[in-house]
Amino acid sequence: MTTIDRPAPPPARTHKRDRRWVGQSVRRVEDPKFLRGRGGYLADLVTPGMLHAAVLRSPHPHARIVSIDTAAAAALDGVHAVITGAQAAELTDPLPDFGPDPANHVWRCLAVDTVRYVGEGVAVVVADSRYLAEDALELIQVEYESLPPIVDPQAALEPGAPLVHEPLGTNCAYERSFDFGDVERDFAEADLVVRDRLRWHRSGGQPLETVGAIADFDHGSGQLTVHTNSLSFTSYLFMAAASLRIPANRLDVRQVPAGGSFGSKLFVTKPLVLAGMCSRMVGRPVVFLEDRVDNIANCDHHGSDRVYDVELAVMRDGTLRGLAIDVIDDYGAYIQFGVGHHGNALAQVVGPYTIGSVRYRVRAALTNKNQQGAYRGFGSEVNNWMLEQMVDKAARELGMDPVEIRRRNFIRDFPYFIPTGNVYDSGDYDAVLDQTLRLGRYDHWRTEQKRLREQEGRYIGIGLITCAERSVFSATEFWFWFDEPGAPVTSMPESVTLTVDATGGITATLYSCAFWGNSPETMVAQLVAEEFDCDPHDVSVAYQGSRNGLPATGPGGSRTTVMLAGAVEGATAKIKAKARRAAAHLLEADPDDLEWADGGYQVRGVPDRRKSLGDIAIALHLFKHGFPEDIESGLEESKVFDHPYTTMPSADRKDLGVFYPFVGHACHIPVVEVDIESGAVRFLAYAAVHDCGTLVNPRSLAGHILGGVAQGIGTALYEEYVYDDDGQLLSSSYMDYLIPSAMEVPELAIGHVETPSPYTPHGIKGGGEGGRMMAPAAVNAAVNDALAPLGVRLTELPMTPERIRAALRTPR
Amino acid sequence: MAEKHTITLTVNGRRHIAEVEPRMLLVDLLRDELSLKEVHIGCEHGVCGTCTVLRDGASIRSCITFAVQADGAEIRTVESLADGPTLHPLQDEFWAKQGLQCGYCTPGMLMRACEILAHNPDPTSAQVREGIASNLCRCTGYQYIVEAVLAAAARMRTGQNATHDVEVRS
Amino acid sequence: MKPPPFSYAAPPTIAEAVGLLAEHADAEPRVLAGGQSLIPLMNFRLAEPSHLIDLRNVAELSGIRLDGDVLVIGAMTRQSQIEQAPEVAIAAPLLAEATGLVGHTPIRNSGTIGGSLAHADPAAELPAVALALDADLVAAGPGGTRTIPAAEFLRGPFSTALAADEILTEIRLPRRAGGYAFVEFARTHGNFAIVAVAALVELDGDRISRAALALTGVAPTAIRATAAEDVLTGAVPDDATIAAAADAAVSGVRPAGDLHASAQTRIELARSHVRRAVTLALHRAQDQR
Repeated sequence: MTTIDRPAPPPARTHKRDRRWVGQSVRRVEDPKFLRGRGGYLADLVTPGMLHAAVLRSPHPHARIVSIDTAAAAALDGVHAVITGAQAAELTDPLPDFGPDPANHVWRCLAVDTVRYVGEGVAVVVADSRYLAEDALELIQVEYESLPPIVDPQAALEPGAPLVHEPLGTNCAYERSFDFGDVERDFAEADLVVRDRLRWHRSGGQPLETVGAIADFDHGSGQLTVHTNSLSFTSYLFMAAASLRIPANRLDVRQVPAGGSFGSKLFVTKPLVLAGMCSRMVGRPVVFLEDRVDNIANCDHHGSDRVYDVELAVMRDGTLRGLAIDVIDDYGAYIQFGVGHHGNALAQVVGPYTIGSVRYRVRAALTNKNQQGAYRGFGSEVNNWMLEQMVDKAARELGMDPVEIRRRNFIRDFPYFIPTGNVYDSGDYDAVLDQTLRLGRYDHWRTEQKRLREQEGRYIGIGLITCAERSVFSATEFWFWFDEPGAPVTSMPESVTLTVDATGGITATLYSCAFWGNSPETMVAQLVAEEFDCDPHDVSVAYQGSRNGLPATGPGGSRTTVMLAGAVEGATAKIKAKARRAAAHLLEADPDDLEWADGGYQVRGVPDRRKSLGDIAIALHLFKHGFPEDIESGLEESKVFDHPYTTMPSADRKDLGVFYPFVGHACHIPVVEVDIESGAVRFLAYAAVHDCGTLVNPRSLAGHILGGVAQGIGTALYEEYVYDDDGQLLSSSYMDYLIPSAMEVPELAIGHVETPSPYTPHGIKGGGEGGRMMAPAAVNAAVNDALAPLGVRLTELPMTPERIRAALRTPR
Repeated sequence: MAEKHTITLTVNGRRHIAEVEPRMLLVDLLRDELSLKEVHIGCEHGVCGTCTVLRDGASIRSCITFAVQADGAEIRTVESLADGPTLHPLQDEFWAKQGLQCGYCTPGMLMRACEILAHNPDPTSAQVREGIASNLCRCTGYQYIVEAVLAAAARMRTGQNATHDVEVRS
Repeated sequence: MKPPPFSYAAPPTIAEAVGLLAEHADAEPRVLAGGQSLIPLMNFRLAEPSHLIDLRNVAELSGIRLDGDVLVIGAMTRQSQIEQAPEVAIAAPLLAEATGLVGHTPIRNSGTIGGSLAHADPAAELPAVALALDADLVAAGPGGTRTIPAAEFLRGPFSTALAADEILTEIRLPRRAGGYAFVEFARTHGNFAIVAVAALVELDGDRISRAALALTGVAPTAIRATAAEDVLTGAVPDDATIAAAADAAVSGVRPAGDLHASAQTRIELARSHVRRAVTLALHRAQDQR
């Protein structure tokens, strides 16, 4: 194994010990308006003269569009425009696509001559109301010529399979095998190689608010103004403008709160382009807001859909040596984000274990389904599940306790470089495990499990998983897949402007994100309050649209709190530098003799010689001539905070560099009972302990763990976008796409461990995705533990009653 | 277009007379004609509960109710909960317990919680859980909602209602 | 997901409602009860009636009363009223238990018993209750009223014996002694049952003197499990008998599989849930003594 030269990590920070606001579960500053139902979501905006768009969806998984007759629809009273896919292709360019070879799998806002999945848009109607628009959709006559669909990802890769995109010549959009470390040696030296095939089916974010955009094109100025509940608009704005063929500086995207995202609204260009195209055509504001069927069938944000063949090289003493992964991922009909989901897997591919080598072969299959996008975890949750399944299987084959095999392999020296080259900044996995065993009453449940099995014939299962929780991605993971990447970007900034008004009131302005259910306002308010010794509820937080916006990336990959903390810290330093100079002038003291204390500057050791921030601010705003010439009026500073720890991949890609460096950890212990007659799974208990570094608002983080676990339970037991063998989408409503209710989700016992990151402000790590990154693995482990006496293991998610019954009918 | 019908209904204590197409859904009447944007649309097929309002004190899905079916009814939305600057105990406890994240399900969830507590002022945690299972929340995992409803119930039983939302803070 | 246009009337009497059905016969009129099944279908545009006749103003269609040993429920009585009514708890606790499993409270606050029966969703609970209780369903048409036994009412999925110009007006449920149970398997709380079982057993000494079992999820409509009833009737209720009844209940059924459960799983679920329902009903029958 070659030694890899790595750039030195950034200098380790010393974190402030006594924090007043960071670490407090304050009430969220966002909430009062939402409690009153005055959130101001996209659908709540009323624009005079606004028209409504609706999209005609393909009923076929794969078909050629022979003809479209829109005459009757266009003639309906109240209809302003009907645009077919062919017409749309005259008006717009393809949508932004980061996949390999996008010219050969062109993705547009409406299908042009071929539909590639059930639900793909073929035409859009603009009408006075959504009711009339849907009336008109029924009058559009489309003649389709069916083409053979390809549904199964493995079959899609076989020679002779029907092609989703003819120009590509294959359904394999990407294939590469990476070796990290000495895989051959580790497998050769292993006492045992544990093998398994695992299947993870697709689910998705399904926020209760769908995605949409209100576009208003002004033919006088050539300006397009768009309100949208998609989030990372600063980063995709220029690409959306290109799709619409308008200059980027004529597109103004304004944020509105999003009613949930879970990844699925991070980067959504199709509704924006559809609404923009329609508005430009009719010269009026146009709203396109998906309905639920649109969102299920055509949201471009289905989650991972993977088939794994995995080998784990282990020693008899339980040491995990090497991991060989061969994964096929069913991307659906397009591949907008490339295989970035596997970058998330590679960031923490060995989990919390000292596995020395990894082979990672990934093949991206194209099929006749809606494409993948983002869903909380972005592929890392699938890797966690796969790895924990393998570790449990190894423990079973070695006759080891699941706790023991994990402890034997924990990483304990930090910073730790895993074989792929990513770094784990800090951690204390034993502490997390110990706390979870206590909180989850592990020994008690083991006793109960035995008693209930023997005395009552019940099948109780205790799952135990220990997983990594990566946060704050770098841009390199978009392109290290390729030897000659088209756009090897390296910027992933986040920005904050702090404005201190003449009364000393502070406003923080955020860019490229809107409120989306996380609490960026509360995070920023607490961080600002920590810096300025004020009450977080006195901090005003504003969101800025793209016009006058600063460089920003938006949420994703659990980056927001860390990145905003860096920007707040930077902007604060600038504010305080200016305030210190001003205070020194007002106090007739040397700036170096001043110290910040209790919301102002004072002469060190002389607390009664001080100026509060309000004193300083009013002087700076109103009394310019009292200051030296070079001090400008006002007190406002911005910080563009770039990713704090990124290193470049090696040319041979045997080392991918540091690209996801702030790595938390969690242990989950669910206790379930499986009704072996029905295949139903119910929870008896559930404990979860997370270490996301320093906590800003513990209750808020716990809320994300709870919500993420609920979604993870959905992934594990209930939620699946089911396409049948003919490519029909069977789960096209909430009657069949099953979102867990309060009765399917247990009460959790939650604990926190805080191991600060040495590289981030306050030592914060991201934690927004953790619940869903753990729960599927944990629930699967619990079900397998319950069924172990019957010799049955579930290796396919979701574990529906049907799959559990089928497994019980054919024990391994 | 079908003939319009004139309906009369009381919404949050105010009487409204509206001319509606028979097909107009109650949720659209409330949102678009009466500007009650707090009634949200989630699934439009009666599963998620986001559009929940009270009709004559009973929770209903306004997305699978025609406005004409509400003729003569008394409708309540979340607008009816707060008394000016003073939040209803349910709203206040949802805030204190972080019983919301994105806020989209919150108005429907609050109205359902009102009905639960009207029927049973002292519910158990399990009863609240079963009660709110009618309404989906994609953010919270429900636990803090259950805690909030229980805390509000305790306050409502002892008459500690008043909370001023600009006074209560951290 | 907005419904298609239709014309609408909300007449105050049964006679006028029946008259409107005839008058608009060419427009494929539909009767609107609570709308909790019909309106979602219209929002999906899977149902597009041109004319809706809303029964909400027909006061005589709502109400619950005991007529001797028969519980009489107006077709427009809301499910939440049925769930809470003391008359139902006394005279037809099976109905009360089953009604509590229809969707969620907000659905039951609008949904009606008549609407559920006339919609005849094969997965619905209330048709199975009507079957198990040998309910009589009263329909009003241009020629007056007629009574349809539940067993003849259900014709197929979403299909009943009601003529196009008839309206279901009331449900008559004979009061039954003994134990009851309504047990179902749904994937999530409040969702449609994959399999549901309605069970009634009466005991005479140590033996079962009468048994009634109805199942959903194994046939195009709810069905009576007569073979299982025969196994139970006259038998001493032990585990073997119950198991034999469960086997009998599923012998010969040919359910259609769907994305939630294959045919085989439905048979297994039906078998285990018949056992659970009969066991619970027997416990309750024994508790009554």
